[in-house]
Amino acid sequence: MSTSTLPVSPTTGEPITTIARRGRVGLWFMIVADVSGTIALVISYSYLWSLNVNGGWAPPGSTLTADQTNSTIPSDPKASFAVEWPFWAIFLVVVVATVLMWFGYRSARSGNHAGLVVGTGLSLVVSVAALVFQWIQMSTFPFGAGDGAYASAVLLLCASNIFHLFLLIFIGMGIFARARKGLINKSNWYQAQAASYYMTWVCIAFLLGAILTTFMVDSPNVDPAIFGTFKQQ
Amino acid sequence: MSVDTATETKRVFGVEVPQPRQFGASGGIMRRLNFGTGLIGGIGLAAIAGWVTAIITPSSASNDTFAPMEPTYVYLAVLLGWAIGFMLGIGAFVGPLRWVVGRDITHDDAEYMAGKDLGRARYWKYTTDHKVVGIQYLIATMLLLGFAGLLAMLIRTELGMTWAELFSPSFYNSMIGTHGIAMIIAMIVAVTGPLGNFIVPMMIGARDMAYPRLNALSLWLLVAAIPMLISSMFMGGIQDGWSVYQPLASQAPIGMLGYQLTIITFAISTAIASVNLMTTILTMRAKGMTWSRTPIFVYGIFAASLMGLYAFPFFQYSQILGLSDRVFNTSFFNPLNGGSVWLYENLFWLLGHPEVYVIIIPSAAVALELMPVFLRKPLFSFNFAVAGIVGVVALSGLVWAHHMYMTGWAPAANYPFMLSTEMISIPVGFLVLVAIGTFWRGTAWTRLPLMAIYAVIFNKMIGGVTGIYLSDVPVDQYFHGSMFVVAHFHYMLMGAGLFGAMAGIAFFFPKMTGRILDERVGSIGLWTAFIGFQITFMSMFVAGLQGQPRRVLQFDSQFNISNWISTIGAYVIGIGMLIFLAAIITSWRSGAIAGSNPWGSKSLEWQTETPVPLENFPVLPVVTERPYDYGVPDPYEAELDARDQDLTEKAGIK
Amino acid sequence: MSGTNASTLTPEEPEAPTNRPPSMRRIKLWLQRPYARKVLILTVLIGFLLLPLCWLLLAAMNQTGAPASDIMKDIEQTIFVFTLVSIPITAFVFAVLLYSLLGWRRVTGDEPPMQDSPAIRTNTIGVILWTGVSSLLAFFLVVWGLIELAQITANSYGSISADEQPGQPKSEIINVTGQQWVWTFEYPQHDGLTSDVLYMPLDRPVYFNVTSKDVIHSFWAVELGIKIDANPGAITQTGVTANKVGTFNVRCAELCGMHHAYMQTEIRVLEQDGFDSWVRESGGKKTS
Repeated sequence: MSTSTLPVSPTTGEPITTIARRGRVGLWFMIVADVSGTIALVISYSYLWSLNVNGGWAPPGSTLTADQTNSTIPSDPKASFAVEWPFWAIFLVVVVATVLMWFGYRSARSGNHAGLVVGTGLSLVVSVAALVFQWIQMSTFPFGAGDGAYASAVLLLCASNIFHLFLLIFIGMGIFARARKGLINKSNWYQAQAASYYMTWVCIAFLLGAILTTFMVDSPNVDPAIFGTFKQQ
Repeated sequence: MSVDTATETKRVFGVEVPQPRQFGASGGIMRRLNFGTGLIGGIGLAAIAGWVTAIITPSSASNDTFAPMEPTYVYLAVLLGWAIGFMLGIGAFVGPLRWVVGRDITHDDAEYMAGKDLGRARYWKYTTDHKVVGIQYLIATMLLLGFAGLLAMLIRTELGMTWAELFSPSFYNSMIGTHGIAMIIAMIVAVTGPLGNFIVPMMIGARDMAYPRLNALSLWLLVAAIPMLISSMFMGGIQDGWSVYQPLASQAPIGMLGYQLTIITFAISTAIASVNLMTTILTMRAKGMTWSRTPIFVYGIFAASLMGLYAFPFFQYSQILGLSDRVFNTSFFNPLNGGSVWLYENLFWLLGHPEVYVIIIPSAAVALELMPVFLRKPLFSFNFAVAGIVGVVALSGLVWAHHMYMTGWAPAANYPFMLSTEMISIPVGFLVLVAIGTFWRGTAWTRLPLMAIYAVIFNKMIGGVTGIYLSDVPVDQYFHGSMFVVAHFHYMLMGAGLFGAMAGIAFFFPKMTGRILDERVGSIGLWTAFIGFQITFMSMFVAGLQGQPRRVLQFDSQFNISNWISTIGAYVIGIGMLIFLAAIITSWRSGAIAGSNPWGSKSLEWQTETPVPLENFPVLPVVTERPYDYGVPDPYEAELDARDQDLTEKAGIK
Repeated sequence: MSGTNASTLTPEEPEAPTNRPPSMRRIKLWLQRPYARKVLILTVLIGFLLLPLCWLLLAAMNQTGAPASDIMKDIEQTIFVFTLVSIPITAFVFAVLLYSLLGWRRVTGDEPPMQDSPAIRTNTIGVILWTGVSSLLAFFLVVWGLIELAQITANSYGSISADEQPGQPKSEIINVTGQQWVWTFEYPQHDGLTSDVLYMPLDRPVYFNVTSKDVIHSFWAVELGIKIDANPGAITQTGVTANKVGTFNVRCAELCGMHHAYMQTEIRVLEQDGFDSWVRESGGKKTS
């Protein structure tokens, strides 16, 4: 075959390097959109934290005053699978998955097919584990969705993490299957590269969540106005 | 592990290309999927999801305020079922699934999906060809514009009939909200959708978009979103204006879910379309098309896509948060429980303002693109046009809080935001300079597209100057929330945006349909609409100056006269738009056949045949010239040079 | 070849004279061209046609008795100045549009015109002039706006202790609560007297604390030229000194639900004596 030296796209006949370049550009733009969404989350979390409207930020350990709502926040925040450290734990798990994906991708580039399959496969498994951890964390919070702005913001961060993990698992499945079939190989590795880049960004998103929930717990606004009045709490 | 080596090859544009294994006939399951199966899938899954949800939801479920939650859950399930079922039925998930299992698409599959030899049926399928997507976008946009325009007529009827209350206040409010958001969606896609998809790849000398399947996905997501928006009208409606400020929106009936899911879906569609267009523009320009040889329209589309891409997620998240408040009882925007109304306003306007430029910049770019063709001279100062677009993009993300001067969220922030907002007038001024510089001493070929540009520039000046008032905090203290604002943004979004889109569609009509847009009927429609537009919104400025708040259905009798005039003008617009629509429809069916290049343009898209072949260019073009090489040497300059020579000689300077 | 006036000076020939006349003479020569003069005359004509707008805008605003405060006067002055400043540029653009249709040749027909227009790719002097003028105007507007805003801020939510100084009239504090779909005005200095019509004393600074009990409203005292949102869960502030006796309007300027259109009430600005007797009759304590 005349084209054995230069792999080409089966649909358009363009060299794979062209397709790869296009894929990278598109990926960067996709990440821009994802970054914007994550910034929206960070803004939501930190803005609500800074305002503490009607004293309703209410992290675990505080109570909402009775006339505001029927809900109460558990007084013992460490009662169950607690709030802060699991964010870091899940972040670390995702980092491991990302490192494995990078390992798989580097293996592909150096022609190590076994390394590629093992790396991407393990990355997929670890991503699934992260999803399970995230789910356990989310379902064992000592508060419910209606327990003040803190609960809402934290649950939203978790939901965003779960969304990202689902994406990672979908991508991981595809990369793993394609690695096994030999569709990702020494001369055609750009999809594994894209997955690695994207996972690196997801790690940053998880890190942001962990930082927020660790360092922004008690609101700086200690005497917010009482709803519907001109008095302060 | 068997490596799936190629078993056969195909000749693609002169290259032997090894093919993956072909499973079944080309196209595979896509052969059986079309808009009809999409509808079946959507309605079927919606019905099942709604039914199951109704069964499993305990009838006692209620929220904080003891409102029953069952309708919310059922409506949510129906909408989600519709969207997923529709996309499933039309075949949007086939590509991703084939990717995951590693069954790559062959050249034959790709050609089938691009609509090769499918005739008219390709317009009803998940077709990847950018030209088909462009036409589909055009139809979807016109439907949405028609729906929202009808609502506008009803709104003006209510406001004109000052002696009676035609609609209930809640229905009136929901008409306002639906009109607003439907128009915003329609105007966001009005240029970038049809023209961005159909024209841009040809303009840059590419065979298709960078990601053809994502292109189809973005279109059909928009189509999936439209029924959700319209259905909300029947579920209590969007009673809170297009901006659906919280916490008013949380009081609204469940129709609000339709709005929220529409926005969430549309944001995904926009992000995908933007990524696709930007990647196409960055990586697929023809050989030799350097940035200084790239037409200004491409710059405009790129800028609009970029702004949409970075700004839309904020809007999307504001609606996700609102949806979560409504469905899961969280409290992002519920001030009783620690939520903030200012959070909503900030997230909303972080999109809300860039979105204005997403609408205006493409239509300005259309204007600058077609002016050189009709004036037969180069674009005046191409660099300035680019600088203007870049300047608008750079400032677009820094001005959102001028919508929030009067909210009191941060009075000190009004100073910097006033500064950044008024700075915008400088890059916008560049674009105006380029326009009038191109008019300067040009022989105007006064065909419909160029005439529309006169209307656009006129409207844009008025919109721009009134924008300067509104950018000033003290003045905004009077105008904010009044009819003045409504008139101002209609001058921008409709007067500049929609008329620009009409110019663009008239200009590219021969390439898109193979026929010339009827000049006489089209012009009558355009100028009728233009005159009606001036009547409507000039008197709306007056109402605003007199102090009429916006979004009211009854008002003091002192505002009667300006509202009567406004309503008469609105009907004139309606008639004009119907005439223009009639011109489009009749010309499309039976207009004069256009050659491949009826305007004598020099840019690439006009150098292909009409109708455009599937692969656009049999041989990819190579660009060797600047885009607007029209014109003859300037006689005045020659005279000046001669005279100068003369003077220097007389003065004895060698 | 217009616009390629790059200097031909090179290190080897430092004496080589440039072939272009100086800018001022080029402008002078340009002004001798007939179309240039006509466009400028047209600009002046259109400018004068637009000039009455400066007053017409204010006439519409003053229909119900504004300005009733210094703030409103400032606003009207700003509108006047901005209109005046925008007119030259608007007139110039309109003049070019008009002249392009009437003055420079125009052709119709189905075929592209045979004759191309002069290829003016750029014009350094024109570009610099435009950029300079538009930047200067923008700069002027920004500076004007910033100064104006600082003044109004000082007039409206300046610190309340500052006007306890001798010689200054004592200020009145009013708590404004918006709820669907009524305004309530509470006078904390008068035993928490409440009213659904806004009574204000003449020539005394009034400070408003504004909040809402349900959704966002916007407190707009139309003829006094102040506006601030009433947000649930937050208190916002504004203030004004009314300098005209009369009856004015409060309207809600933010869509707040079904009866948003009807969420309006009256402002009655009274002389100090009248205000005192209103307070007494309504059961509040007299201003000390």
